[in-house]
Amino acid sequence: MAPSENLAPAGRANTGNGGGAPNGVEKQQRCQFNEVVLRNRLTALLVDGNRFCRTIEQGLLRAYGVETLAVDNGRAAVELIASGVKFNLIVIDMLLPILNGLEATRQIRAMGVRCKMLGVTACSYEREREAFLAAGVDVFIEKPLSPEILVPILRELDGQ
Amino acid sequence: MEVGQMQGRLVDYTKSLFMEGFLDGQFLQLQQLQDESNPDFVVEVVSLFFDDSEKLLNDLTMALDQPNVDFKKVDAHVHQLKGSSSSIGAQRVKNGCIAFRNFCEEQNIEACLRCLQQVKQEYYLVKNKLEALFRLEQQIVAAGGSIPMMEMGF
Repeated sequence: MAPSENLAPAGRANTGNGGGAPNGVEKQQRCQFNEVVLRNRLTALLVDGNRFCRTIEQGLLRAYGVETLAVDNGRAAVELIASGVKFNLIVIDMLLPILNGLEATRQIRAMGVRCKMLGVTACSYEREREAFLAAGVDVFIEKPLSPEILVPILRELDGQ
Repeated sequence: MEVGQMQGRLVDYTKSLFMEGFLDGQFLQLQQLQDESNPDFVVEVVSLFFDDSEKLLNDLTMALDQPNVDFKKVDAHVHQLKGSSSSIGAQRVKNGCIAFRNFCEEQNIEACLRCLQQVKQEYYLVKNKLEALFRLEQQIVAAGGSIPMMEMGF
């Protein structure tokens, strides 16, 4: 989705003529994604070991026009960053296979990477939050990653 | 049954799933991600959730059946299930996982086994509910109608 496009509102898919909606049924446009227009092309790296969560989070980021690359373990994330690929945003889970999110975050920060890092995790204990923040994420977010949390961050990255 | 009645039935059924705590607002967020370019997004991610969850529940059953339970492994599986259930909006499953993690922390095998049963029960309940929801949607589309979007205004 290019930011300059005037996106048509989209309802749910249907193959018929629309039928007659009963009283009280509200048709809702897909307006929340249309309301957020990014001036710049933002890129994000998503690091999550769970295929399902990657699908959901990638879908959400892409709905806002963020070009997203996903990997399923911490080592792959570190190697990608070490190869010189740059991102505006890194979304990283705490428990990851091969190399965990805490260590991956430390290693990414140790490379001098200063981009926004969101720790998006099912972990919720205070000690886990403190550990993730100490490792170098800017924001600790308990799953799910929601538009309410994501949109202000995207706007900030976009310089709005 | 005419399309309008079917749509009304779908709306009522969907509302009941929220009122009874099976689903939360995150499910509505997923529906927002579905559009003409991705018309089957919700069904696809829900299927992925089913596959993912059943594997995790099997892994949990095996992990808790070991003579020396590795609670770190159990916690990792519960963590995954908590993440995916919260990401789809399966509220009761997520809440079950929160309790489960606490008992993993305490290394309380009996309590973990009870939690596993509880989480399995909640998972199969929400699975049945979602499958019924999709059947209602398919009936509406087959009859030429459109699926009304829900708002959390109830």
